Amino acid sequence: MKIRSDILRNYQSLHIWTGIISGIVLFIGFYAGSLTMFKPAINAWSSPPEQIMAPIELNQYDDLIAQVLASHPEAAKEFTLTLDNDHQSPITWFETGESRELNLDALAWHATLDQEQQLQAQQVTPGALGQLIDMLHRTAGIPGGAGHEFIGVYVLGIASVLYFMALVSGVIFLLPTLVKTLFAIRRNKGESRFWLDAHNLVGITSLPFHLIISLTVIVFAFHDQFYDVLGEVVYGEEQAFIRPAMPDEPYAIAQLPKVDEIIAGAIAPTPNVTVKEITYMNLGSKRPMVRLGVYDEHSLMRGPITDYIFYQPYTNNILGSSLNPSENGVWVRVVASFFALHFGSFGGDLGRWVYFFFGLAGAFVFYSGNLLWLEKRRQKAPGSEQRKSVKIMAATTVGICLGSILAVMLSMTAGKWLSAHVENINDVYLCVYYIAFLASVALSYWIGAARAGLYLLKGCCYAALLLPVTSVIALIFPSSGIWAADSVATLGVDLVALGAAGVFYYAYRLAKHRAYHGSEQSIWSLKLDDASDQIQLGKPA
Amino acid sequence: MARLAEHEKIRPDWWSKSLVGVVLGFCLAVGLVGLFAWFGPGGINADAKNQFNMWMIAPLWMLILSFSYLFRTGMRAFLWLAGANVLTYSMMFLFR
Repeated sequence: MKIRSDILRNYQSLHIWTGIISGIVLFIGFYAGSLTMFKPAINAWSSPPEQIMAPIELNQYDDLIAQVLASHPEAAKEFTLTLDNDHQSPITWFETGESRELNLDALAWHATLDQEQQLQAQQVTPGALGQLIDMLHRTAGIPGGAGHEFIGVYVLGIASVLYFMALVSGVIFLLPTLVKTLFAIRRNKGESRFWLDAHNLVGITSLPFHLIISLTVIVFAFHDQFYDVLGEVVYGEEQAFIRPAMPDEPYAIAQLPKVDEIIAGAIAPTPNVTVKEITYMNLGSKRPMVRLGVYDEHSLMRGPITDYIFYQPYTNNILGSSLNPSENGVWVRVVASFFALHFGSFGGDLGRWVYFFFGLAGAFVFYSGNLLWLEKRRQKAPGSEQRKSVKIMAATTVGICLGSILAVMLSMTAGKWLSAHVENINDVYLCVYYIAFLASVALSYWIGAARAGLYLLKGCCYAALLLPVTSVIALIFPSSGIWAADSVATLGVDLVALGAAGVFYYAYRLAKHRAYHGSEQSIWSLKLDDASDQIQLGKPA
Repeated sequence: MARLAEHEKIRPDWWSKSLVGVVLGFCLAVGLVGLFAWFGPGGINADAKNQFNMWMIAPLWMLILSFSYLFRTGMRAFLWLAGANVLTYSMMFLFR
């Protein structure tokens, strides 16, 4: 396909600059997003087994609710039932803090029934590893809030605008050579050609995924502003929110229907779904509501894991539903599919794995894009010093990208080891993450990208190994206060970490070979550096 | 393809085109969504359609912004998008 050369040149510039500005925060968003595909598994992996109380049968839940409300009346404000799940206690509620917002100091209660049908309840400070990784995914770890949204969410929203422009411009300036070179991975034409081919191949083959992610992130970041503008400009006075009429008296909790009646009433229009969890809200008030998280492997779901049905338990009314099978439900389902396409909440476990690898592939596209930017700008004449901008960008790329991964893995391991010894494990997660992350970035600026890259790759390899090693140690020393993976899901976390360790080791070997045997004018070369340093690098750190 | 004379080539005009694409592109996207909201299927009061409409802003805005760089100059981008805005909004306010 022929395209005018002035158009190509302009869009090449656009691609390079939008990419280099947005690439690093998007890298964090993408690899952390891959991890959130398995948020329940990560939470199960990081929860001490004694915190998770024994599951019960469906017909025992009414008894459980009655006993909880009798001994802990404050739970009527909000409590959640988890159905058919070995990794979560049958009932949980919060003493302080909200379930919907990330509150790292929240006090929660978990309860179950014992063999004699007696209530067993315990207070816990819930570890929020899954939620923290989710926050990292949504904010790239940039702290601070603006209004009721996080600054990092806006930063990623703006980065996504640049990301969309980078996608469009990348496709445009690739079009003329696309057919000829798409599947050509040329290893023999120099490393930069190999990186370029890989960058293009992965980018083009996952283009629909990238378009969806970039657009959904813009909407997630700016939906409040979009709604405001739409309300002002388009709808004017047409937009009316009708609140349902309230009764004169609050509802009596004694009248609350049984769990199976609520389920039957709520899923009557969509009987093929499975109810995963039920959250009861404001039971003894004038505005009670039950939210059911319902799962259907064969549909695109509105939430990260399930669709939602909002139900009035006393009057048997469906207040709202992201399934909405009514005639007007087409818009609800279309919007639900946008969410599902971001969350990967369709196609069951296979869908999650596909999204996991798409996310990692996306991170690779951003990382390789930065490498290509650096490669293009380096001084190629022998003996000449590299430009400062190149050195800084190389150190930033290596320090932030690898540092963030290293920090997450250290944080996960530290959480497991220190769980028995600290009051609130979330402090450990945050401290370890930010210390390790900032130290990696500082190290990278201090000793330069080439050397820091080797250290950090090796560090990532060891840190990833720590996860399965911790499980092995827990099996050998059961009294150590740590615990081993004990289910398919938690074992999966360990095995993915083991696989990651292998990948990091391979990358380390390649980077080391390049540092000492590649071109001396490469910014990754360590050949000309002090010879005594080379000997040190050979030893494990 | 014949070689283009210098004045026929697209000028980069990064700042002006970006500004036009971001600001007028956003207005145009909202205007187009407005047309769809009022005159598209279901009309203005369709159940939950406002959610779908909100979702449509981002893709329209991004496409307009991304292709703003195809205008030969920043000034041309401004004039075309301003004109499209006037047309879109007058249609919406005249016929709703």
